Amino acid sequence: MTSSPMFWRIIRRLLTANYGRLFVLLSALGAGAAVTSALLNLQIDAKKRLTTEFRSLGANVVVAPRSTTNPHADDTSGATLDESLLPQIPSQYEAHSVPAVAFLYVIAEVAKPGTMHFEPAVLSGTEGHGLAEVRPGRRTQFLASLENDPEACEVGAQAAKQLKVQAGDTLQLRNQAREARCRVFAVVATGGAEDSQIFTNLKTAQALADLPGRISLIQLSVTGTPAAVASFIASLGPRLPGVEVRGIKQFTEAEGHIYDRISGLLNATVLLVLFLTSLCVMAGMSNVAVERKNDVGLMKAIGGSIDRVVHLFLTEAILLGIAGGMAGSALGLLVSVWLGKAVFGVAAHPRLIVYPISVVLTVITSIASAFPLRRLASVRPASVFRGEE
Amino acid sequence: MAALAMGMAVATAALSVSLDVGDRLAREFRSLGANLLVTPESDSLPLEIGGVDYRPANAGSYLPEGDLGKLKTIFWRFNILAFAPMLEAQVKLHVLPTDGVSGTLTWPPTTVIGTWVNHEVKIPDGTTYRTGIEHTNPWWQITKGRWFVEGNKECVVGSAFARKHGVRSRPLAPGFHLTAYTLDGHPGPVLEVVGVADTGGPEDEAVIVPLVLAQQLDGKPGMYRRLYVSALTKPEDAFARKDPKTMTPAEFDTWYCTPYISSIALQISEELKGTDVRVIRRVAEGEGHVLSRVRTLLWLVTFAALLASALAVGASAAASVIERRSEIGLMKALGANSGLVGVLLAAEQLLLAFVGGGIGYAVGILLARALGQRVFGFAPEPKLFVLLVILVLAAVITLIGSAYPLRRAARYDPAPILRGE
Repeated sequence: MTSSPMFWRIIRRLLTANYGRLFVLLSALGAGAAVTSALLNLQIDAKKRLTTEFRSLGANVVVAPRSTTNPHADDTSGATLDESLLPQIPSQYEAHSVPAVAFLYVIAEVAKPGTMHFEPAVLSGTEGHGLAEVRPGRRTQFLASLENDPEACEVGAQAAKQLKVQAGDTLQLRNQAREARCRVFAVVATGGAEDSQIFTNLKTAQALADLPGRISLIQLSVTGTPAAVASFIASLGPRLPGVEVRGIKQFTEAEGHIYDRISGLLNATVLLVLFLTSLCVMAGMSNVAVERKNDVGLMKAIGGSIDRVVHLFLTEAILLGIAGGMAGSALGLLVSVWLGKAVFGVAAHPRLIVYPISVVLTVITSIASAFPLRRLASVRPASVFRGEE
Repeated sequence: MAALAMGMAVATAALSVSLDVGDRLAREFRSLGANLLVTPESDSLPLEIGGVDYRPANAGSYLPEGDLGKLKTIFWRFNILAFAPMLEAQVKLHVLPTDGVSGTLTWPPTTVIGTWVNHEVKIPDGTTYRTGIEHTNPWWQITKGRWFVEGNKECVVGSAFARKHGVRSRPLAPGFHLTAYTLDGHPGPVLEVVGVADTGGPEDEAVIVPLVLAQQLDGKPGMYRRLYVSALTKPEDAFARKDPKTMTPAEFDTWYCTPYISSIALQISEELKGTDVRVIRRVAEGEGHVLSRVRTLLWLVTFAALLASALAVGASAAASVIERRSEIGLMKALGANSGLVGVLLAAEQLLLAFVGGGIGYAVGILLARALGQRVFGFAPEPKLFVLLVILVLAAVITLIGSAYPLRRAARYDPAPILRGE
């Protein structure tokens, strides 16, 4: 009976009889669906994006010799690693690149040429990609022309002050009888121990330390949720025998802590807004439904059972939900792409899983808002037609 | 009215949480530890590798510990959450024979870090303040035993140190006694091991002692070399990045009286003479990045909540005007003009808005408290400002929502309505 042409004809007439009403219903459902899909997409995206933002904290994982002994006691191979470890670090993890830089620390003597006044300083030879990501700081001076020169070096802010050097100056480096020189291409302020260091090419530091092919440690900046970083550490450890892979507790712990807080906050507020949105849509739709009294009265007067009537209205609600949901969710995804750009500077990735979820939620809301029609079961056709109720 | 109250409740909750969340999150970020580092201004270059300074004890400058109370006298004193000075000493440690060891074990020179734990600082205004390393470096965790008590000859050993220097294949644990010798052989205090600390950093290889004991071992009473400060700050914006030297006096005042990390750094260097106060960039900037993003995001969600509640309230206001059609018809039939009908209905809607907004505010505050408690373990304080915003919002939304139906109602012809058509 329900599939009879008459049923669908009534449905068609119900929907198209009053275009104003259809417009109101569709826009309420569509707006609800748009808010739902935009927020859900933004929420998923924001959590991912947050883990990327955390990388402005710098390195969070260190690959070091298994038992870092006091470098004073043993200055040779015991406290260092082989530089062949660096290429073994995966360059990608969960679709994000992993900046990895190998460091070799040497205590050497430094002087400006001509002054012959040598001062001890920590020289840190680096090799790898992403030094700026691993060691965040602010470059106060920078000569781009020298950046890719293998003879160039970067000087920490405190060291630059102490040695009175500027970008463009040349430094003389020596360690016992071994000597080298480098041209300063940048001065960097990090606020940490790096401020008193001089960053050179790894080869220069190895030559000065007489430790060819050795490095002190590798620093990595791994993007991902705290759980993902932990599993990266756990999977890398067994692949590199004889070394220790560990998280930098200061950052891994704080990141985990803050990530939990922020994602909890986002979940709670998004849930709240979604709940409210569905209430809104239901309120809007129920108002319209109650206006259907006359229609229901007529149907009952000509012999329609209340089940048939409710069936009709439910079908109508589902159709409306699907139409409003599909259009609104698509719109919401577009909006969230734009919002992602506004908040994080990068367009949010539309996640397709959000679309069906949002449509289904809209249909459910639409059906739920048709339920006040149950009240119409008690409508007495006669009184409706007299215009009493 | 239920829709109105509900919408306003959600708006209140979202608004309260958003207003509060900046402060809350800024505090959470302090789990990253100190964001300012204070070192002597005229110092030789520190030879620091992996957190250990390899300069001899007599090289470089020191700072007086007695000045530290002044940190709580700067303009933004309440934003200084914690601070801890540090002084390192290179010593040789021996396990006391009383622990069942025959002869002495010779261990390579070890770094001893002197610092504060739950230390009482005297502030020049006569009060005291308790602070220490457990707040500036919260990731230094005691895995066994407890922190040392200042005044006692106690120490905490790093976890790697404890593993490496076991006695009779047992790792060092609370209860052992260590004798410290300076590198040139002078005996120092006997220290009782009371805890094992896990820091995940180079400190795991060291022994942590009260600052006084490190000063004694170094022969530098009342001195320290590095100071870590954890301050609550406002994320830097374009204004904060301007060079204070190029600012106009008015701009400088604004900058000085805003808790930017750079202005707090300046205020500290004004109080502690002869120091160089540096911003730990990775902590400060990482915090700034994430905080400003999250804040924008939350405002966005709050805005969505406000929009959704506005829609709900507007819709219900429109519906209530439509239901009044027959009353409007009657009033007009009795001679009321359109203006009077409009004013009457608007007044009714406004009254409803205030009552609904009030109820919504009360419910929303409860909601915000539950939310804050769940997420941060701390409920936001109800703010009168939010009540004001909510009431105005409720009034505006109701009026806008009912404006169109009211205008239509004003144009109703009474006769067909009263006939029930």
